[in-house]
Amino acid sequence: MAGSVATDDLNRLIHERIRLGIVSALAANETLSFGELKDVLATSDGNLSVHARKLEDAGYIKVTKGFADRKPKTEYRLTAKGRRALEDYLAQMETILSAAREALERS
Amino acid sequence: MTIPTQEERDQAQETLAYIRQTMESAAGFTAVSGWGLVGAGLVGLAASGLAARGDDPTTLTIWIPAAGLAIATAGLSNAAKVRRMGIPLWSGSFRKLAWVMTPILVAGGVLTYALATAGADPLLPGMWLALYGAGVTAGGTLSVRAIRSMGLLLLAFGAAALLRPEWGPPLLATGFGAAHVVFGILVMKRHGG
Repeated sequence: MAGSVATDDLNRLIHERIRLGIVSALAANETLSFGELKDVLATSDGNLSVHARKLEDAGYIKVTKGFADRKPKTEYRLTAKGRRALEDYLAQMETILSAAREALERS
Repeated sequence: MTIPTQEERDQAQETLAYIRQTMESAAGFTAVSGWGLVGAGLVGLAASGLAARGDDPTTLTIWIPAAGLAIATAGLSNAAKVRRMGIPLWSGSFRKLAWVMTPILVAGGVLTYALATAGADPLLPGMWLALYGAGVTAGGTLSVRAIRSMGLLLLAFGAAALLRPEWGPPLLATGFGAAHVVFGILVMKRHGG
């Protein structure tokens, strides 16, 4: 998609598949643990950590580290900024589809 | 905006489908009801207690209604939790779970009939626990880790009860009863009722 006028404005931070998955999964749950996110997205520890860190740095997700039953537990939560970013991204996708639909109707 | 290319349109459609699928899968993941498990466990404990009073601890006149009541209790509690979470009841995860559990329940029904008519009643607890444990373990891949752990435990109980049929009744009480109560409380604590 890169380089196209239609998709140039896409938020590249959440356009990446794993990061989009993290944000989408957290949009449907108040919180998810590291293990739960890993299972939902069927990805590796390293991959999830790297992408979650990027989203955390952007302020899209909030990470809470603690203990549950004496075991370390990392929990993720979508921030208001992250939710807005996902909503904007969804709107952009809808716009692409609408534009394509209109073009088809005109032709 | 310029006219999107066919490729862009396909990618947008695929991306929206991915977002929808991930949200459904993530929402269904924690939608298991802790209260439902506790309720099913209490039914299991009551059935074990009633069956132990009679001559036959595997009597189908107690266990078949108990299984129906436990499934209804867990099903209704899950449906209520799913509604509270605003997830469509027939979403991706629940549809997959139905496909995992239904064949196992049907196989369990057929095997129950076959073993009971062949006079192999002592093998019933092991078969029930092993089949149900296999289903819960497989279905647990769509849910929180506690469910998979419970499935593996029930599978182990089933294997033990098949190898040592005299252990069947107490393992049935522990598996269908106590284990459901304990894991239900665990799920409630971590993911809500």
